[in-house]
Amino acid sequence: MRTKWIYLLFTACMLWSCGGNEEQTLVLNSEADLAGLRIATQSGSCYDVELSPRTDIELQRFNTLSDALQALLHGNADVLLNDETALNAYVCREQGIKPVLRGEKAYPTSFMFQKDDKVLPAAFNNTLARLKAEGTYDQIIDYWLKDRYIDADTFPFIPVPTEGQPIRVASVCATAPLSFASGNEWYGLEIDLLRQFANDLNRPLDIKFYDVTAAIMSLKTGKADLLSGGVFITPERQEEFSFGEPYYAFHSTYFALDPDSENSKSGLAARSKKAVHKNLLAENRWQFITDGLLLTLIISFFAILFGSLLGIVVYRMGESRLHWARSIAKIYNGFIAGIPELVLLLVLFYVVFAKSGLSAEVVAIIAFAMYFASSAADIYKTALDAVPHGQTEAGLALGFTRVQAFFHIVFPQAVKRGLPLYKGLCISTLKATSIVGYIAIQDLTRAGDLIRSRTFDALVPLLAVTVLYFLLVWLLAALFNLATKKKNVL
Amino acid sequence: MISVSHLSKTYQNADGSSLTVLKDINCEIQRGEVISIIGPSGTGKSTFLRALNLLDPPTSGSILVDGEDILAKGYPVHKLRQKMGMVFQSFNLFEHMTVLENVMYAPVKILQESKEQAHEEALVLLKKVGLVEKADVYPSSLSGGQKQRVAIARALAMHPEAILFDEPTSALDPTMVGEVLSVIRQLAKSGLTMLIVTHEMRFARDVSTRIFFMNEGVIYEDGTPEQIFEHPVHSATKSFVQRIQKLVFKIESDDFDYLQIHTGINQFCLKYNLTVGEHAYSLIKEVLFTHMRTIRPLTLRMTHTELSGVTTVDFMVENLDHSPLTDAARASLRPQVKDLIEEPTKRGFRIKLII
Repeated sequence: MRTKWIYLLFTACMLWSCGGNEEQTLVLNSEADLAGLRIATQSGSCYDVELSPRTDIELQRFNTLSDALQALLHGNADVLLNDETALNAYVCREQGIKPVLRGEKAYPTSFMFQKDDKVLPAAFNNTLARLKAEGTYDQIIDYWLKDRYIDADTFPFIPVPTEGQPIRVASVCATAPLSFASGNEWYGLEIDLLRQFANDLNRPLDIKFYDVTAAIMSLKTGKADLLSGGVFITPERQEEFSFGEPYYAFHSTYFALDPDSENSKSGLAARSKKAVHKNLLAENRWQFITDGLLLTLIISFFAILFGSLLGIVVYRMGESRLHWARSIAKIYNGFIAGIPELVLLLVLFYVVFAKSGLSAEVVAIIAFAMYFASSAADIYKTALDAVPHGQTEAGLALGFTRVQAFFHIVFPQAVKRGLPLYKGLCISTLKATSIVGYIAIQDLTRAGDLIRSRTFDALVPLLAVTVLYFLLVWLLAALFNLATKKKNVL
Repeated sequence: MISVSHLSKTYQNADGSSLTVLKDINCEIQRGEVISIIGPSGTGKSTFLRALNLLDPPTSGSILVDGEDILAKGYPVHKLRQKMGMVFQSFNLFEHMTVLENVMYAPVKILQESKEQAHEEALVLLKKVGLVEKADVYPSSLSGGQKQRVAIARALAMHPEAILFDEPTSALDPTMVGEVLSVIRQLAKSGLTMLIVTHEMRFARDVSTRIFFMNEGVIYEDGTPEQIFEHPVHSATKSFVQRIQKLVFKIESDDFDYLQIHTGINQFCLKYNLTVGEHAYSLIKEVLFTHMRTIRPLTLRMTHTELSGVTTVDFMVENLDHSPLTDAARASLRPQVKDLIEEPTKRGFRIKLII
């Protein structure tokens, strides 16, 4: 019964989300025909650079390929520009799109290393040379670029060393066939190359999925050794970073909606059933969500815990008789109020704690605890100031010590006044942690992104993540309501 | 029981200035005494009371309770306060507890009484103050008088040896003053040591064994109710207990501002509900411009005694040993006043018109 409702819900959403499809085939004979069209592409990508000089088109820049694809599917863009591999025949069939024009340019692609790194690029070139000589290179290319992997239950897996200094890989791509996550492992063309590379160096691999900007910062600040994910070699990038030898040259390709696809013909119920299966059940993708949920919970819990404690310190300093203590509290609150959470998170991770070796999760907890403390101090002040001084005096006059008077008399009354505010703060902190993906933490939101980049389906992962956030918030609120239930003081 | 000597209290303001509220308080309080502390507003009555249980620690001086110096470093103040209860002007009931819990809380938490015992005692005390049927309600639903009676029961629940009452009826509607005073009256008979800061003169007179009259930060006069109310030694005490109100003008020369005098008299009469304003003003004009025209400087004083309802106008001249009035003046004034008194004073001569 319950599953039926969930399907119904998804169906309703699909119905809504499919509204914009047009039933015409777009015909393009050359890149000149693009004039007047809306073209979706990934921001900062080579396609972005390639099309930017053209003034006769409307260029739409998206953070991820799946976002760009959604724009095409919903009729917000006419054409999608990407390389020929990510949107292979299988994906096209699934999504109801087709390639309409092969671009004129091909882009040599490789891994990107730190600028002054001479060792790793050279080592990679050796690995590539070895693979080419052995013929392994051709096998890898053949397997991943000829779509054979699509029907496979398992993917080729080359074990790598588990001991030693890991090669830290910042991947900006979670899309087949280059690199994608399935279960607890990463697979794909680039991953196979990297595994060979790791074996040659006799070092383990540590692969993390980053936002593009965050990945570049990680590489610059030495938090990652190499950046992967189909990075095209361009002169601008070569000025800032160093590259290995290109392992492949990808052709740009234009995609448009395919009115004849099965997808647009099959029934809604069947499609939503398939969408749920594809996004949550296949390859146990729900595990991304449960793992992300756990991380979101852990980060929120410790941020709230340490934030509450730090808030006491900030509050006490703000109320202090010492001028300097009050000043510090004031500066702290002004500082926190003036900086967006994301900026603080990035600054802490890439600048302040860049060399400390603290894990991203710990840095996230610190950042959110800092935010929490500032607001919590305000709440403490509001709540405690609302309890008249006479209450303390009455307690003292009865013979309570100062500490007893605070905990027996003032505190319970302050809690009553401050708890609704505190509850709101906890809930907004829980939701605010959804930005930790920027420092490569695979939290609940990022888990949705990860599935999205693999399945190119915006709706189901987003809906699943939304429902989970909603449940979390609801649970948290219920917990607080339980705590505020009237209890006898004696 | 309590011995206070050379107690003083000075508040340091944030701007560096300071305000001395208590100057030099000395007194001995015996067990079982019921002492009312009276005096004009702002003379440190409440500050003195709050100094006794160290809610407002004094700046200097000493307080001995049962021979122990409570200002000594490390003295367990909370132990003292357990023996010396306090009832506040603003009640300060614990708003998050029921009436019963308010009364039981301290005995259970501090005296480690069992809940059953504390519950039983609390009910007895609530019965004593007439609020046993309100045991399970929250203070917010009580009237001011009821709140203050609960506060008294709460103080009694700690079995104190003394209770300090800080203006217990000042925040109450006039209709509720009686119920609270009658509870305190009842307590006064029980032999409990009590110090009461109050503005209720009749109550102070009836209930106290002793009265402190405080003025300008010192105990100005200390005596039985009879001494203080019937035979006060100091003029300040007298004008306070008889509720004498004064209006004073100094007239240096003929250029004085007689309009200011007119306005002053009108406001004075309005304040004390007097109908003699215009009459007084015409008399003053007559004396100043006719009978005592040549006599400057002089001090003009209008007084009203609330207890007796007598209003007088005085003309005081310094360094004068005889009456400045002529017979004609006397003849003109006498029919207009209840009495005309001409008398020498320490510093000169006074003409007193009783109107």
